[in-house]
Amino acid sequence: MSLASWYQLIIFSWQSFWRNIWLSIVTITIIVLALVSINFLVVLNVITDTAVSLVQEKIDVSVYFKQTVTEPQVLEVKTYLASLAQVDDITYISQQTALQAFRERHQQNTAIIESLEALDQNPLGATLIIQAKSLDDYPEILSVLDNSKYNELILDKNFEDHAAYISKLKNISDTINRIGILTAAVFIFIATLIVFNTIRVAIYTHRQEIGIMKLVGAANWFIRSPFLFSGIWYGIVATVFAVAIMFPLLKVMQPPLNAFFLTADVSLAAYFRQHFWQIFGIEFLGIILLNAVSSFVAIRRYLKV
Amino acid sequence: MIIFKNITKLYPPNTTAVKGINLHIKPKEFVSIVGRSGTGKTTLVKLLIAEEKPTEGRIIVGGWDITGIRSNEIPILRRQIGVVFQDFKLLTKKTVFENIAFALQVCGAKRSRIQEIVPQVLKIVNLSGKENRYPLQLSGGEQQRVAIARSLVHRPKILIADEPTGNLDSFNTREIIDLLLKINEFGTTVLLVSHDREVVNYVNKRVIALGDGQIISDQKIGKYII
Ligand SMILES: Nc1ncnc2c1ncn2[C@@H]1O[C@H](COP(=O)(O)OP(=O)(O)OP(=O)(O)O)[C@@H](O)[C@H]1O
Ligand SMILES: [Mg+2]
Repeated sequence: MSLASWYQLIIFSWQSFWRNIWLSIVTITIIVLALVSINFLVVLNVITDTAVSLVQEKIDVSVYFKQTVTEPQVLEVKTYLASLAQVDDITYISQQTALQAFRERHQQNTAIIESLEALDQNPLGATLIIQAKSLDDYPEILSVLDNSKYNELILDKNFEDHAAYISKLKNISDTINRIGILTAAVFIFIATLIVFNTIRVAIYTHRQEIGIMKLVGAANWFIRSPFLFSGIWYGIVATVFAVAIMFPLLKVMQPPLNAFFLTADVSLAAYFRQHFWQIFGIEFLGIILLNAVSSFVAIRRYLKV
Repeated sequence: MIIFKNITKLYPPNTTAVKGINLHIKPKEFVSIVGRSGTGKTTLVKLLIAEEKPTEGRIIVGGWDITGIRSNEIPILRRQIGVVFQDFKLLTKKTVFENIAFALQVCGAKRSRIQEIVPQVLKIVNLSGKENRYPLQLSGGEQQRVAIARSLVHRPKILIADEPTGNLDSFNTREIIDLLLKINEFGTTVLLVSHDREVVNYVNKRVIALGDGQIISDQKIGKYII
């Protein structure tokens, strides 16, 4: 294909873009909406990820050992747990430290202190505080522990309290995600239909040129390609608009987000900047692919060469 | 140059447009095709440029059997056949120059080639100086000359004119016919479809008369006989 052909193709497709400018505007608006709704999905994900990780930081499993278990035994369990892939961090609290902490907590309560003094043995066992890499890992860690030979050393584990809380959070995040995906899917579907229709109309408004092109012996692909290209133009222009709209929107969303999390650690704009090519690049390729396909179908159906 | 072998064309559901046409047109011939409305003249034109496929028979153009032509070969055929119609088929938003250049652009011609050929064909049709006019600023005869100029950009071996003077007065008609004769003298095979008795008699060359989709007469130096 010659350079002159490429040049003509781009010119023609650009002209067809302008020829139906209002339709082009509608088409681009819908594609921009589709892209923005996808970006909201990304925002939602950032927010729920942040929420989950904030909660996760506060969640751990405490494993209380029986009072008779010795320090080397506890450390052996610790080593064993540390070898699990799901475990992020383990803190060891010795019997001594546990007792001290207990004392400090109950300084004011003389009755408790006195009864502690009366014992000649430390009534508290050691504790291991385990943090998992992800919320989903806790049940697994617990069940590994339950089924290990160390189970009999363990007095108690306090995880049940958090389970409900975590699953609720996960539920909310999943629901939000599902709604987001549905919305984005609807927009994408509409955008595809609109692109299809726009190309159909473009073919109709160019029927005179198409007739002449055929008559003078323009190659079939040359007659078809401008319509394919204009589908691609829509993708390009819409992505540029989506990028231009997105950053101000993120800026508006930031203050309420900070208020909600009581921290300014999460910057949406920074996230989008960091993942610019992943987010907008993939969206761009996706929308172009989609436009190309729906243009192609419209051309197949309405442009007989 | 053009051979029709036993050509029949049926349009669904039950129209027989042409039936058993046998025709041999030699290079550089000027042939007029006449006949009443609906006798299949335009159908013959469409078969020649592969806009329609024959139901039966074979068509050979310049030694090329185009009967079963593939869709991606049709453009190659059409660059060898210039066609003009009664309704000119010009783009009203483009100037004369742009209309003609369009035919080259869509075939991927370079700008330099366009700059070279467009003035040439404009000169042939005697429209030099009017290249910046829009079609609606021209007379009917001039518009048809633009269409003829456009049909010449690929230097076709065959020029088909389907009722080219149907919309023109007798003065403009004369001009167009003279132009077709001139193009024929340069060596292009010309096929003129016409209703017009005066036109055909004026041309005074081979005349093929169609009636009901069949050839009813074929005269070397013919008169309009129907
Ligand atoms: N696409 C089509 N579908 C069905 N029938 C058609 C089609 N095109 C033409 N016909 C029929 O085929 C016959 C021949 O038509 P054609 O256009 O070849 O006639 P013509 O000789 O060019 O007439 P005119 O002088 O009016 O232009 C007519 O009966 C017409 O109705
Ligand atoms: Mg006709």
